[in-house]
Order: sequence, then structure tokens, then C-alpha cells
Amino acid sequence: MIASKSTLCAALAGAMLANASFSATSAGEIVAVVSQQGARLTLVDAATGSVAAEIGLPRVPAGIAGSVDGRTLFVTHPDLGLVSRVDIAERRVTDSFKAGAEPFGIAVIGEGRSLLVSDWSADALIRLDAGTGRETARAAVGRSPAGLVVDERGGRAYVADRESDQVSVVDLATMRRIAAIPTGRAPFALALSPDGRELYVANVRSNDLSVIDTAALSEVSRIRVGLMPYGVAVTSDGSRIAVTNQQSGKVAMLDRAGRRVLAEMKAGDYPEGVVFTADGRLVVAVWAEDRLCIAGRALASVCDYRVAVAPGPRMMVVLDGDRP
Amino acid sequence: MMLQRLAFAAALLLLGLSPVTAHGPTPQKADDRVTIAAPPETVWKLIAAFGSIADWHPLVKQSKATGEAAGAERTITLAKGELVEGLDEVDAGARRLSYRLSKENVEALPVSFYTVTIEVTPAAGGSEVSWGARFYRADTTNEPPENLNDEAAVAAMTDFIRQGLEGLKKAAAK
Repeated sequence: MIASKSTLCAALAGAMLANASFSATSAGEIVAVVSQQGARLTLVDAATGSVAAEIGLPRVPAGIAGSVDGRTLFVTHPDLGLVSRVDIAERRVTDSFKAGAEPFGIAVIGEGRSLLVSDWSADALIRLDAGTGRETARAAVGRSPAGLVVDERGGRAYVADRESDQVSVVDLATMRRIAAIPTGRAPFALALSPDGRELYVANVRSNDLSVIDTAALSEVSRIRVGLMPYGVAVTSDGSRIAVTNQQSGKVAMLDRAGRRVLAEMKAGDYPEGVVFTADGRLVVAVWAEDRLCIAGRALASVCDYRVAVAPGPRMMVVLDGDRP
Repeated sequence: MMLQRLAFAAALLLLGLSPVTAHGPTPQKADDRVTIAAPPETVWKLIAAFGSIADWHPLVKQSKATGEAAGAERTITLAKGELVEGLDEVDAGARRLSYRLSKENVEALPVSFYTVTIEVTPAAGGSEVSWGARFYRADTTNEPPENLNDEAAVAAMTDFIRQGLEGLKKAAAK
């Protein structure tokens, strides 16, 4: 991942040279957000709260992942059964390819050679060749797999099986499920601690966060966070965990060590996706308000910036961040 | 044999008509607001009486609830059937109520899941009521029929909210 960071920087530097609108951007501060209703990808500079670029997408985009070459983003379209490839520098979709039945979560693995997608209606984790889009492997998981995170060092993918109330653990080498860990009800979003030891699972219907010990492959704590937690993110030092509580309209900030909610921030109506930038800024996609809320630090009480984006913002990725 | 076949058909029918709480990954949104010439507290009392929505919502024929605090369940009867809703949060100070669909019935309302937040705020001349819903189409497969697609869900929810707000306005004036 360290190598990927530098190449991503290089690619972004290229993009900056190509377009003056990136000139004020510092590394690790560009957030790409997918707007589902608006069918658009917006690149937002979290340091300045300004829109750096907007890119049109095919209908109903959902999940997003960044490629390690730093030039490409991949977006899933569950309703179309497609994955789109976005060229960041060219600011356009260069191609879309079939990927399972309802691809939702997505991750880039193998130094950009492969993609993993969770298939919501086929109950599978599918591996695709990133160049051709061809399916190369498939692992059976639980029902309605949604959120997906990868720990490449550990050689594993974690998938939130929303309708099975569990997280499936898939071995990347064999593409076989090695464990199914019971969680709260309707797990949706996942985040991994930077050291890979803890997995955080936002349980939409039981209003709590499961903490999973990835060595023991079991849930070690379940923390009540708020109504309908839909997004979760971890700071780059691993000390804080942010959870968006969609129906509460708030972001809860938790302390890893104490496993408790330290503070809450009003984010707006129906907050969903959440990420931390490399510099520790908190970025929240406020779905019903069609904007991002950007706060300067983890325990902030207000949004420093509110950035208007296309209708229905949900999933996000930091272009040069410290994604686990 | 005949009985077995009938049971099988009934099972299929059940599967097709009640996808329980499963829903697809594409949420929809509907929201609306209305200004009412009545004090916020008067309007809030109507909304907070969770089991009494039938008193003011023109599309709700009957309603009953197990209580008025978070955790309560409400059954509402619409023209074509019943829905069950669960009360998630009641904030009397903020005059804000949140609930969700616990048991769907796509015949009654063509949506497979929803959450709703209704809030009353003071406004010039009385109150403003905002009513927002987040929901999913009734048929969550990729080829939904016209009566169970995104457009049908948005149209039904938009109408339900609009008529509810108009009903509140009338009830508050009484």
C-alpha cells in the first residue's frame, strides 16, 4: 500500500499539471464521491472544500474503489450488473463491463491486477481481471453481501452479509470462505484498523457497531452507536472510529481503546458514507441533503465546509489516503 | 399430490408477495413540508400520538400502537392492506419523530422498506412540518414491473407524505 501511495501521488501530480483546478490540492485530500441518483462522480478537495472535477457515470452508481496506479477508479452499478472504469486524468468513463448480477462493494487487489466485487443478489464475492473484466474466481458468502474491505497483508477479504447478520472472511489465495462471524442485525459497512487486528462492522438494524478480533475471528464487543449506522471509518493512527448514524442525522466518534462513543456531531439529514483523509479530516456524505460535510478533525462539533454535490451521495474513497 | 401441489403454489405465492425485510441497494428519497397556522405544540401532539395517525391521515383507515415511546409498534391500515411500523426515536424537545417499516406489504404501499422522520419547527404564523422518507422500490430485482419499480415507489411515498401533511393541516385547524 505504501508503493501505491507514491504512484497515486505521481498520477495526481500529473492530473494537477493537466488541469489548473487541482493546483491548490495537497496530497491525500482529494475525496471521490459517488452520487447515486445524480449518476455522477465528484472529486472534492477536502482541504479547501471545493469541487475539483465532476465526471458523468452510467445510471445508479454505488460502490467505489481506487486503483493502485492512481489513474483509475472503479464504480459498481448494481441495477445494471456493471462495473465502470473511470480515467481520473481524462475525467471520463473509459469502459463498463459486466460483473456478476448486482455488484455492490468493490476493492482493488493484487497491485491493480484484480478487482473484488460483492454480488448482492448472487450471494458471492467475485474476483475479476481488472484489465478485461473477466471473472476469475467466485466465493460463496452469505445473503446480500454489501460492504467489502481487503487486508492484503493478511491475505483476506471481509464481506458484510447484510441479510445473514454475519461477516464472511474469504481467503484471497484460494478464494474460499474461511469463516462466518455472527454480528448485529443487518451489517452493511466495514472498516479495518490500520494494523489489521480489528474489524468494525456497522449494523444497520440493531443500531450498533460490532468489533471483531481478526486473529480470533470472533466478535469481541458490540457498542450502541445510534439509529441506523450506515458508514464507518478509522483514523490513520487507528485511535478513533467514526460511524454515521443515518436516522439520527449524526456522526458518532468512538475511541478504539475505550470502545465507547466519545462525541457526536450533527452532520445533516441521512449521513451515509464516511472517510478520513490523510490529514485527519472527516468527510461525510449527507445523502438527503446532496452535500458533503467536511470537519477539520475527528472530534469536531460542526462541519467546516458543506460542499454541494450531485443528488444522492453515498460511497466515497480518498484518492491518496491511508485506506487500510 | 393435489394438496402438495397446492402447498407448493401457496409457498411460491408467499415468496413472491412478501420478500420480508430484504431490499436492494438503491434507496429513494421523498420529502415535503407544509406551513400550518397553529402553534408547534398543537401540531406536535397530533404527530406524537403514534397510534392515532388514522385521526388525521386521509390514506390511513385505521391505526393502533403498542405505545408512544421508542420501541413501540404501530399497525396502520391503508385501502389495500396493513403495514407495521416501529418507532425509533421521539424527541419531544426538538418535536422530532423517527420510525421505520417493520413489516412490508407491497400491495398496500409499493415499497420494500422505509425510514421516516417528521419534525415540527416554529415558523412565521405558526409551524412548519417537514416529512422526509428514505425507501426502496417494492421489487428489488433488476427488472421490476412498472407497478413495483423506483418510479412507483417514489410516486406512492410522495403522495402519502403530501396527503399526510394536508391532513395534519386540517386536523390542526380544528
